[in-house]
Amino acid sequence: MLDTTSLRKNLKIIIDGDPWIVVDCQFVKPGKGQAFTRTRLKNLVSGQTMDKTYKSGEKIGEQARIDECNMVFLYEQGGSYTFMDNNTYEQVELSAAQVGDALNFMTENMNVEVDFYNGMPIAITLPNFVELEIIETEPAVRGDTVSGATKPARLSTGYSVNVPLFITSGEAIVVDTRTGEYVERVKK
Amino acid sequence: MKPAAPQRPACFSNRVLALIELRDSILDAIRAFFRANGYCEVTTPLLVHCPGLDRHVEALPAGNGQFLATSPELHMKRLVCRGAPRIFQISPAFRADEQGAQHTREFLMLEWYRTGSGYREMMQETEELLRHVTGCCSLMPAGLSFPVPRITVDQLYERSAGWQPTRHWDEDRYFRDWAATVEPYLQTQPALIVHDFPAALAALSRISTENVRICERFELFLNGLEICNAYSELTDPDEHRVRFDQAARCRAAMGRPPYEADEPFLQAVASGMPACAGNALGLDRLIMALTGASHISDVHLFPEDLQPSP
Repeated sequence: MLDTTSLRKNLKIIIDGDPWIVVDCQFVKPGKGQAFTRTRLKNLVSGQTMDKTYKSGEKIGEQARIDECNMVFLYEQGGSYTFMDNNTYEQVELSAAQVGDALNFMTENMNVEVDFYNGMPIAITLPNFVELEIIETEPAVRGDTVSGATKPARLSTGYSVNVPLFITSGEAIVVDTRTGEYVERVKK
Repeated sequence: MKPAAPQRPACFSNRVLALIELRDSILDAIRAFFRANGYCEVTTPLLVHCPGLDRHVEALPAGNGQFLATSPELHMKRLVCRGAPRIFQISPAFRADEQGAQHTREFLMLEWYRTGSGYREMMQETEELLRHVTGCCSLMPAGLSFPVPRITVDQLYERSAGWQPTRHWDEDRYFRDWAATVEPYLQTQPALIVHDFPAALAALSRISTENVRICERFELFLNGLEICNAYSELTDPDEHRVRFDQAARCRAAMGRPPYEADEPFLQAVASGMPACAGNALGLDRLIMALTGASHISDVHLFPEDLQPSP
């Protein structure tokens, strides 16, 4: 049984028989009072979220045994996302809610990790860094050399990131999927 | 003739240098404020025999039966007992097991004591300090205005949790509601002074003479961030002994090793402690509030050193 000292973002635990992932956790300690950890949890099967506050030292649940499998994202159809095991060619489907924020950075033929709980696909994890094409951004203004200045750019997935001024439409960039931030330009 | 002081660069370009300048200007403004108000700056030991009596604060052992100070409170009060009328201190404080967006195990604390005053005067002075520092450093958080609105703990809980803690004391419910609804409400308020805490949470504050269920204690919150904790200080020697005993029993009940009572402190109080008010203010958090930082490591010069080694 895990207690609050194990709580951290992305921890997967079993509560009342269901697998949950910690999407946010905050240490709270009122003056002259006991410490708490305030968490937001997401049910890995239903996608439902709940807020739960734990007293420091309280038991939180068993660590979830999650099997991970490398798969490739094939296509989306009617809000359902199909992935294929590279070795067995077995295919599985996940809902948009299960794919979650990964939708912002996932393109067809991308290699991802699919999490299985009791043989059921429940969530995916993207590589930390992915290459994505920019489909729309304002052209750089000549002479604008302020270092660190950025502009918004729309990715082929529809997601918008801030990029340095020298980046142009049609270029590919590397994005950190954990933070959603620009990392570097892909060298041609 | 003294050589001219080298001029400070007007504007730093990188984060660390900007933070050095910011922290320096805030500390400078704080020292100027206290000097102008007749305070002396003091330094008290960081290695202590008794780390205090807050049962929810764990001290870091420092060897030889000593601990790293969790706050300079007890030593500064000994100076007050010896006749120091107005003192302040800026010093590191250490607390085990506290780590998060608003907590670090080592942090910088501003603590001050003024004799002949109670917590009402201390509220006033805290606002003046805040006004002075925001003015000197040209840092005015959005929505902050003076005077800072005030609310009692009962009013606060009535509106965010639907009950009055000083009328129906329930410690477990109090802190659960704090984490669940009260603190989220405080986060919607740019600035709020919360005062008149339940007597059970008096620590070393004086119980109100008008209502025995409340203690003369207040905390200042900026955007939900607890900035300081202040009291009309308890001065009665017998009541001090009672509170130390209570704290020791609570620690024992929680299965934690007891801290020995601070005899030099208790003797100092027994020799006569003048009426006074004291305040302890977390400087890293104040800097967070003034700059809008969301994580305490954002205002640290060495954020990479804050995490304990695995």
